[in-house]
Amino acid sequence: MESLPASFIGMGLAAAGLAGSGIGLGFMFGKAIEAFARQPGAEAQLSKYVWIGAAFVEAIALYGLVLAFIIMGKG
Amino acid sequence: MISSAYAAAEGHAQSSGLPQFESSVFASQMFWTIVSFFVLMYLLNRYVIPAINDILDSRSKKIGEDIQQAERARQEADRLLANYRDQIERARQLTATTIDEARIEAAAIREQALAELGEELNKRKASALEEIERTRVQAMEAVREAAVEIAMLATEKLIAKSVTKPKAESMVKEALEHLEKNRIGMH
Amino acid sequence: MLLTATAINAEAAQAVAAAAPRMDPLHHFQVIRYIEIAPFGMDLFSISNSVLWMWISVAAVYLFFRYAMRQPGLVPGRLQSIAEAGYLFIRGIVDENIGHGGKPFFPLVFSLFFFVLFCNWTGLIPASFTATSQLIVTATLALGIFFLSIFLGFYKHGLKFLGFFVPSGLPVLLLPLMVPIEIISFLARPVSLSVRLFANMTAGHTVLGVLFFFSATLPWIGSWLPFGFSVVFTAVEIFIGFIQAYIFTILTCVYINDSLHLHH
Repeated sequence: MESLPASFIGMGLAAAGLAGSGIGLGFMFGKAIEAFARQPGAEAQLSKYVWIGAAFVEAIALYGLVLAFIIMGKG
Repeated sequence: MISSAYAAAEGHAQSSGLPQFESSVFASQMFWTIVSFFVLMYLLNRYVIPAINDILDSRSKKIGEDIQQAERARQEADRLLANYRDQIERARQLTATTIDEARIEAAAIREQALAELGEELNKRKASALEEIERTRVQAMEAVREAAVEIAMLATEKLIAKSVTKPKAESMVKEALEHLEKNRIGMH
Repeated sequence: MLLTATAINAEAAQAVAAAAPRMDPLHHFQVIRYIEIAPFGMDLFSISNSVLWMWISVAAVYLFFRYAMRQPGLVPGRLQSIAEAGYLFIRGIVDENIGHGGKPFFPLVFSLFFFVLFCNWTGLIPASFTATSQLIVTATLALGIFFLSIFLGFYKHGLKFLGFFVPSGLPVLLLPLMVPIEIISFLARPVSLSVRLFANMTAGHTVLGVLFFFSATLPWIGSWLPFGFSVVFTAVEIFIGFIQAYIFTILTCVYINDSLHLHH
């Protein structure tokens, strides 16, 4: 196999790691909304941690994206 | 064939990958990042942060002073209010005592007036009675004298018709008793 | 015969490809040197578009605050309120995450937040350059924080700082497993800190680049869709720029706090 198509496949596989981040984000925001529904008074305190957590989870996805870009450079 | 054409079309961008991984520009960017950051930190620390600090400090000081001043004003107002209340209370008491005194005085004056009046009346009554008594006695004297005179006259006339002295006297006495009786009956 | 046909085909394909608009969403991450200053063959002081926009961000932060605080009044105006809100925001972060002994680090954290924030935001101006989308820029900041936290740890606690890598309350048998994990997670801190910021900026601007490419090259009947989405995504990017600056700042505070107060 030529290296360029292989690297394209590899990039796609690396970007597939975003799925996990999507699951994580959905899980987190779902739980957050559940928590807000249960304790509306705690929303102001909790939403800060939700956004921090969202940024962390998103970062995991972006590691995959960076890997894809690295593979692109090697192809 | 296709891939080679694609690769040719992609040109330099494809071959070098993400521009961020091109290490030839690392050193200068690293240097300038450090310099820029420290310049920013120096500028903010030198000019901006003290200014904001000052304004926040002076604002909190101002607020604290305002609160203290308000507290002081409130205490002053409380004190004044208590003062006024005290004065009003004192005035009320004064009024009450004045009214009481006036009432007592008035009662005393009335009492005195009544007593004087009663005394006066009594005195007048007494003098009137005395006057009456005296008048009565005088009248009695006059009546008696008149009666004696009449009796004497009558006696003289009777003597002429031989009436003895004792008889005449008993007759006078009788007449007097009669008169007395009449007077008592008159009363 | 066959060879020449292939060559002609390839040439034709090249011509077609060169004529068509080419999607290159990574093009705007290209660092271009404006002035090359390379003493002794070391490319150390070259001024590129990245450096230029870093300076513009620094100037914007400084001028904004100077302008907002030009006539500070006890009753703040609009800009002064914003400046004070930013100040109190960072002070809240410092107090919350470092707490006792965090006051000397306030200028550092304050500058760091606004440096990152304004680099993120000036990058959204069309035809500008996002300095924080450069891995080396974020890595420089992250490594600086990393070395600062190590220095602080040893300065405050001496060799006791090594106890940071030994979790308390663990059975001794697990220590050979846990200590390397702790060390690796400690070493991963600057990596995750820098890659998070750089990757967020890169990914966001790449998506924007793709959307702009579509809205520019599609016929008018279809171009409004990616264009409208790019507008929405720009707003999202403003939000992400703020959130990433916030995360960067909070993690900085957490790392400094770990070095100042040994909780383990």
